[in-house]
Amino acid sequence: MNRTWTIIALLVAALGTGCAAKKGFEKPGFSFGCPIGDAKVSSMEDLVKLKVVQEGKRTTILATEMRCTMTGDLYKVDVNLNNDSSDIKRINYKFRWIDREGMRAWEEETWKPLLMYENSNITVSTVAPTNKAVDFRLVLLSQE
Amino acid sequence: MIDLSRPRRLVLLPLLAAVAIAAGCAKDTVRYGDARGVETVTNEFGSTDLQMIAESMTRSMLGAPVVAGGNLPIVTVQEVKNKTSDYIDTRAITDSIRAELQKSGQIRFAVDAAAMQQQIEELERQQSEYYDPNKSAETGKMVGAAYRMEGNITSIVKQVKDVKDVYYKFNLQLWNVRNGLLEWTDEKEIRKTTTKG
Repeated sequence: MNRTWTIIALLVAALGTGCAAKKGFEKPGFSFGCPIGDAKVSSMEDLVKLKVVQEGKRTTILATEMRCTMTGDLYKVDVNLNNDSSDIKRINYKFRWIDREGMRAWEEETWKPLLMYENSNITVSTVAPTNKAVDFRLVLLSQE
Repeated sequence: MIDLSRPRRLVLLPLLAAVAIAAGCAKDTVRYGDARGVETVTNEFGSTDLQMIAESMTRSMLGAPVVAGGNLPIVTVQEVKNKTSDYIDTRAITDSIRAELQKSGQIRFAVDAAAMQQQIEELERQQSEYYDPNKSAETGKMVGAAYRMEGNITSIVKQVKDVKDVYYKFNLQLWNVRNGLLEWTDEKEIRKTTTKG
């Protein structure tokens, strides 16, 4: 009986360690694979707030998820955009790339028009234009 | 000589003045715009389409294993065939793609077929008696490309009374010159609809 309880306890401990190891996998200065510098990010909402900016006319389209990974020595970014309204929405978006010194790593990207159906999600993906780009912002602009 | 009697002159002069003022008011206004803004003047192929295609293709190619490996592959640009019914300067598209890729520092470009004649002429010029042989470019040192980039652009246009729908598809491919394998390909689709009224 005692042995059974010991095995169960060991299994639970092993699972717990596994989860802890996964959480600890994130490098310091990164959140969900995205560079955050010294900013305090404890949730996806914090990350989105840090990385998404609105310019010009505000849009109700929201970035709900963001993940980054490396492809070679370039950042690859996936951002999920959500339109939770019952109307079709049109927005423009672009990424802004920042280098190690906080300067622009690349010229201003072209605005990309995007149509979002009512109550829908779209993932926009991009790859950094250069390995000098170590940080980014997603810029949204309403077309309405 | 035209004889303008007084009553006639009284009518004509204000009329001429009015015409002159109207001509002055109709002066065109010129303003600088955002070269990277979304252009929707007509639904024909425009600057936003060119920029979006160039950016999309460039970023996709930078993520391809053949490029992302950091091997600095040498590429030559071949023709992008225009299979649409519009006039599209496909060279402008490939020039933009090449400029972005070159700036990224991940790819090098070898002289392409279109620029080969100028390259040969310059090499031959430097081989002439007017140049210091120790400082002029030697022949037989050009580097051949390991990959060639080619593509095509197609369109489907549909029009009914008040609606015109244009669909563009740009396809770009990167071929291995040595073994003929397709190393990377991607497409960018664009749909534009114009509704009258």
